[in-house]
Amino acid sequence: MPALLEALLIAPFDYGFMRRAVIAGLALSLAAPPLGVFLMLRGMSLIGDAMAHAILPGVALGFLAAGFSLPMMSLGGILSGLLVAVLAGSVSQMTGHREDAAMASFFLISLAAGVMLVSLGGSSVDLTHVLFGSILAVDSTALVLIAVIASLIVLALAVIFRALVVECLDPLFLRGQGVRGGVVHGIFLGLVVLNLTAGFQTLGTLMAVGLMMLPATTARFWSQRLEGLITIAIAIALVSSTAGLLLSYHLSLPSGPSIILLAGVAYLLSALFGRHHSLTARWRRRAAPLGTPERA
Amino acid sequence: MSRLQLHDLQLARGGQTILEHLDGRFQDGAITALIGANGAGKSTLIAAIMGMLAPVAGRVACQVPKERRAWLPQQLALDLGFPMSVEELIMTGTWPSHGALKGYGADHYRRGREIMARLGISDLAHRQLGELSGGQRQRALIGRTLMQEAELLLLDEPFANVDIETVDVLMEVLRDMARDGATIIVVLHDLEQLSRLTDDVLLLAGGHGRWSSPEALLDHQAGVVPRAPRLPLSFPEAPHAGTA
Repeated sequence: MPALLEALLIAPFDYGFMRRAVIAGLALSLAAPPLGVFLMLRGMSLIGDAMAHAILPGVALGFLAAGFSLPMMSLGGILSGLLVAVLAGSVSQMTGHREDAAMASFFLISLAAGVMLVSLGGSSVDLTHVLFGSILAVDSTALVLIAVIASLIVLALAVIFRALVVECLDPLFLRGQGVRGGVVHGIFLGLVVLNLTAGFQTLGTLMAVGLMMLPATTARFWSQRLEGLITIAIAIALVSSTAGLLLSYHLSLPSGPSIILLAGVAYLLSALFGRHHSLTARWRRRAAPLGTPERA
Repeated sequence: MSRLQLHDLQLARGGQTILEHLDGRFQDGAITALIGANGAGKSTLIAAIMGMLAPVAGRVACQVPKERRAWLPQQLALDLGFPMSVEELIMTGTWPSHGALKGYGADHYRRGREIMARLGISDLAHRQLGELSGGQRQRALIGRTLMQEAELLLLDEPFANVDIETVDVLMEVLRDMARDGATIIVVLHDLEQLSRLTDDVLLLAGGHGRWSSPEALLDHQAGVVPRAPRLPLSFPEAPHAGTA
């Protein structure tokens, strides 16, 4: 039995690419879920998706300029992601267009531009790689980059944490204290973009959002406290990224979808059996008897 | 003494003048009621006093430092589904001294507990805001302004959706704060609460402001000849004394 366990759980990591991939996955699992928790709490769950599309043209330009160079592609991704965020923000401010509508317009333009750029310069294999990622391509440079970005995100989040919490609850209080809420919001969106560019190598631009949002939305079924939400989300991300990698290794499945689908399974199970707001929680509440009146 | 004065103030929103020629001084340690119909410019004036809206003309002279000004909007303006406990909310009132980074010490937590005890919400310290009743939430929000040691406090209908007991507790706390020298401005619709709580009245109507006293206002409402003649008062939703 131990031999079997070892073959299943340990042996795959004899390979360098698996070791690098699992470390990349762990780094992302520490950085992404807290961002996802805040996106979810602010009712911006879909913004992550929009931003993921927004980084695509930059990634494509980096790819065209330097081939499969993660630093170049990441730099391009960060720049185009920030550009789209700023453009969407300013268009909505200048025109009175709602921000989500502006964001939707820009990310669709970005997606089309990105796919067009990759297709012009590469093959459909390259496109698949950019869109859906590949663990095989995580080399040491990429790993360092991912670890640095993940550390940066965790640190920055720690610094703006209190401001972010206060701003979510009562933006006017923060403004009254002389802190421009827009600054906190801007830094936060910047971190989301950073995280997505770090994630696209293993998960692809489209799947990188999954590791951010699914653990966060899953955690909502288990905790009602901020610390609880963040801890549970990170735990779910750690388990699904490691287990997803092993699954993809043993069954020859693509790594990104394996990881995200596992997180998806956790979400569905939690929606059914979670402690709060789940189907069973709801059923329990409805079935609970009123009880007999206390004494007379 | 008055640390908050309005000088020939003109305020506009979206290119439309809301208030003009607004003058007056809010006395230190006094509670002033801000009344007027919907759209009369109460929120606009509050925004200007908080320094969030630049006047078109005139000025707001406020000597209270920015971090000691507190604005409690109506509860609907807050995202109360956000996971935060009563104690955590009250501790955010330490922002002026702690900012975004400094950790809270034992004495700050002690102060937080004292504030909760004074407001009668000690047993709710670890409850989430979303689980509280309107009255309990309002006590917690006032707790934050106490932690902030607010010297200028603006409240927008603080007694709406709040139980009678909470109204009593909050009124007492507000009176204590005023006695300690805080300038307090309250948007109110209820005349009974107005007469119990406030010292001055600033009524906004037709783009202008008029200073009055609670007594004059009550006389006017009761059909007695007002002491202040030609009061430009009109209440589309006539306030009934005694409704909570």
